[in-house]
Amino acid sequence: MMKKILNEPRNYVAETLEGLCAAHPKYFKRTGAEGRVLVRPDAPVAGKVGIATGGGSGHLPVFTGYLGPGLADACAIGEVFSSPGVDLMADAIRAAHGGAGVLRLYGNYGGDNMNFDMAGEMVEFENIRTTTVRVTDDVASAGPDERPKRRGIAGLVYCYKIAGAKADTGADLDAVTATAQRAVDACRTVGVALTPCTVPAAGRPTFSLGEDEMEIGMGIHGEPGVRRGTLRAADEIAEEMLQMLLADRPLAAGDRVSVLCNSLGATPLEELYITYRYVARRLAGVGVTIVQPLVGRYATSMEMTGMSVTLFKLDEELEPLLLAPCDCPFLRI
Amino acid sequence: MLTTDSLRFAIGRWAECLPRCADELNALDGDLGDGDLGANLIRAAGRLEEAAPQLPADVGLALLRCAQAFTSVSASTYGTLLATGLMAGARLTKGREAVPWTEISVLLEAALRAMMQRGQGQLGDKTVLDAVEAARSATAGLAAPAALLDAARGAIAQACDRLRDARPRQGRARIFGDKGIGRDDPGMVALLRLVECLQPTAAP
Repeated sequence: MMKKILNEPRNYVAETLEGLCAAHPKYFKRTGAEGRVLVRPDAPVAGKVGIATGGGSGHLPVFTGYLGPGLADACAIGEVFSSPGVDLMADAIRAAHGGAGVLRLYGNYGGDNMNFDMAGEMVEFENIRTTTVRVTDDVASAGPDERPKRRGIAGLVYCYKIAGAKADTGADLDAVTATAQRAVDACRTVGVALTPCTVPAAGRPTFSLGEDEMEIGMGIHGEPGVRRGTLRAADEIAEEMLQMLLADRPLAAGDRVSVLCNSLGATPLEELYITYRYVARRLAGVGVTIVQPLVGRYATSMEMTGMSVTLFKLDEELEPLLLAPCDCPFLRI
Repeated sequence: MLTTDSLRFAIGRWAECLPRCADELNALDGDLGDGDLGANLIRAAGRLEEAAPQLPADVGLALLRCAQAFTSVSASTYGTLLATGLMAGARLTKGREAVPWTEISVLLEAALRAMMQRGQGQLGDKTVLDAVEAARSATAGLAAPAALLDAARGAIAQACDRLRDARPRQGRARIFGDKGIGRDDPGMVALLRLVECLQPTAAP
């Protein structure tokens, strides 16, 4: 049976958003049809390139949480694991538009792509210029020669951070877009799942894994990964994940990276720090310096047990943008 | 000339006639999908009817409102594809209050291209794209509304006949594989019915 702290499953998203805004009125305000667009209260910021995002519910703090100074401006919110509709996305774009155009920045998923493209075409009739950057950081979801097909997972957090910081510099839409794409290109993530989650309206787990099994590379909606096997020790899991990430984007002595150890929901901070400790040692061993590591719950799949590791390769443009100030309840620098 | 009043006429016909096709479309869709195609089209027609009195005289902006009626009722791929086609037409007609009937084929071509790109579909996949292509090709050069509708209806019906025994290669029907062989594609039939609704003699 489904064991969740719930009222009516159909109110899951609405009640989540109500609570989120009640807890953080300084950061979030609801707008759009049925209050399904969240904006930072000072949006649109006049003269700044707007950043609109969106996606299904069930991943907090992604996507809704990363709104604020130095981050995104508006977010269209769908049902659990399903894309928000075109109208909501158009509303999010309008809410983010401060006169300098809007970057649509979101994870690469079929429904979101189609709907966000449509929304962009709609607001074109209102003379709002938009661009698109799709986050494609999940190395397990397609091979290196098919990077544009990869899904977006925890790397979204870095992309919001970088694009938001760039927009705050007063850069124009093309420059913010180029920098956001640069952030996507610098990001690699891989996840591991230990237990599934249950979509409230469905009432059943999205997949099943044996008592002693784990799946490397599983997506945040339970999409199949690259390898299922027996659960192993933390360091062995971290090593396998690091090898996948480094094979995809090698690092050399002297490189600087940020590392995100992310819980998919149920995995505790302790286990994330056990993993981070290994990753830090291992990267130090090859002469790579870690800057501004993030350890915690950043991109989740409700109560899924598991984690992801993201390596974000820095350069002379990305590092200052990563370290620039930002403020939301889930990320402060 | 195609004007916003022409669109109002079409909307009125759909609102009246589509309910009579709903069971057929729901059943076709139920064989290969989730069975809500007819219901979704009727809901879209309802939204169109609500929007009709306030449609702007600019044909492009009026088509944009029509596209929004489709996207507001459901997030289904079919609705999104139709909305995509309408928006492609909207871009070509924006700023004009009357569009020559001879441009219908050109508008259908723009719609087809946009729909193919959005849905990543190809001709021959046995989807609504094949029906749009049939209508585009049959209406080229025609200037009278009655002739346009006749040609489009005949061509779409032929495309349904031609593809009936093909295996669906796109969308949800593809997943059903062989089950789609020998059955009409629900999206193609829906477009056929939409055209028929506009013809006094053929209306369901």
